[in-house]
Amino acid sequence: MLENGKISLRQFTILVTLFTIGDSILVLPSVATFEAKEDAWISAIIGMGVGWLVVCLLVVVSKLNPDLTFVESNKKILGSTLGTAVSLLFIAYFLLCASANVREIGDFMTTQSMPETPIQAIYVVFLCIVVMGVRLGLEAFARAGEVFFPGVILFFVTFIILLLPQAHMENIQPVLAEGIKPVLRGSISTSTFSSGQLVVFLMIMPYVNQPKKILKGFFTGTLMGGVALIILIIITILVLGADATSSNMYPSYSLAKKIDIGRFLERIEAILSLMWFVTIFFKIILFFYGLVLGLSQVLKLKEYKSLTLPAAMILMVLSTLIAPNITYYNNVIARYWPFYDYTLNVLFPLLLLGVYGLRQKLFSQSSDLE
Amino acid sequence: MLVIIGFLAVAIVFAFIEVPSLVKRKLRKELWAFYILLTAGILLNIAEGLHWKLPNPLSIIVAVYKPISNIIFRLLK
Repeated sequence: MLENGKISLRQFTILVTLFTIGDSILVLPSVATFEAKEDAWISAIIGMGVGWLVVCLLVVVSKLNPDLTFVESNKKILGSTLGTAVSLLFIAYFLLCASANVREIGDFMTTQSMPETPIQAIYVVFLCIVVMGVRLGLEAFARAGEVFFPGVILFFVTFIILLLPQAHMENIQPVLAEGIKPVLRGSISTSTFSSGQLVVFLMIMPYVNQPKKILKGFFTGTLMGGVALIILIIITILVLGADATSSNMYPSYSLAKKIDIGRFLERIEAILSLMWFVTIFFKIILFFYGLVLGLSQVLKLKEYKSLTLPAAMILMVLSTLIAPNITYYNNVIARYWPFYDYTLNVLFPLLLLGVYGLRQKLFSQSSDLE
Repeated sequence: MLVIIGFLAVAIVFAFIEVPSLVKRKLRKELWAFYILLTAGILLNIAEGLHWKLPNPLSIIVAVYKPISNIIFRLLK
């Protein structure tokens, strides 16, 4: 066994929640309102619904081989060659997702809080923590999630309450002024941002100690994360208005700058970025963990820790490489990346289910003949 | 030049961290995987540091999903 640790259902749920909130807390309001304007919150609700379907699908897939990770189960179902090829696609996906998230941290830090620091320095610092976490193992970073979770919830609730006095109901009206189509366009990105990348959890599901209740834990996790995102989008539109939200790269960050309680409690946006670092850290660490664990299972290695440092180096190059400029990157994220997510989170699991069903049928027929 | 020396130094440090324990436990396959990945990482980093033009992996995604993305966004226009 590559990973000897076990995590509890609670830790799993917390990881799902933190992963769902992930980078969305800072960038999703902008992406969603760009298409759906005032109705972005409806898009977010649709997105959460789609996310639940994805969760159901993933749990069904994980039930096929409850003791195996996704990479191993690929190999068992699709055979050695095809299974390895599909697994490599997923490993590339984890690598790209992790580097996109690292890139987002770098962009945020260099544009908002540390303009004179080279972006690579930020990557190095952040990747050091990620590598450290992965080397300590699944149990360690799941426990870290448990430690940070109450803080994230506390900050989030405080943040929303402090903003309530500045909410203007007229910002969210009219509802559905331009029909349902812009809302659907917005939900393409909300559905992938919030829960369309959950396939990486198939890599850690075998290590949950109560496999029977996994569906419940998964649902609770996406529900908490999804509700947090819906509330966040609603409050962003209520305070800033749809136009300001969509033209702002980090709307919730400028939202935090608006908090002003009696000229005493103001400029607390650093707390928001801290919260974001925690959630995106867990997103990156899960992708990175899926990457190194998957790679070492494909190569049939006995341990994955030795791959962490070189993999982090490759990830660093990719983070710079994937975005020659921010406009190109934003365009890819909004228009093409969602379909990439759908292919790997919906299409391939469905394919796996289909092949599994077909094999069951063939095998049962051949046993009938005998 | 500084870039090359710097990354080679990083590679040596990484090797010092990983290799002794792998050799001691006689994990030869893991050692090979480590060396290959490390070489790839260092070469990529040096190429990036010297401002060579490397292909962007996202351009593959764009090329693959352009047709379907265009169709769906046109349907929802």
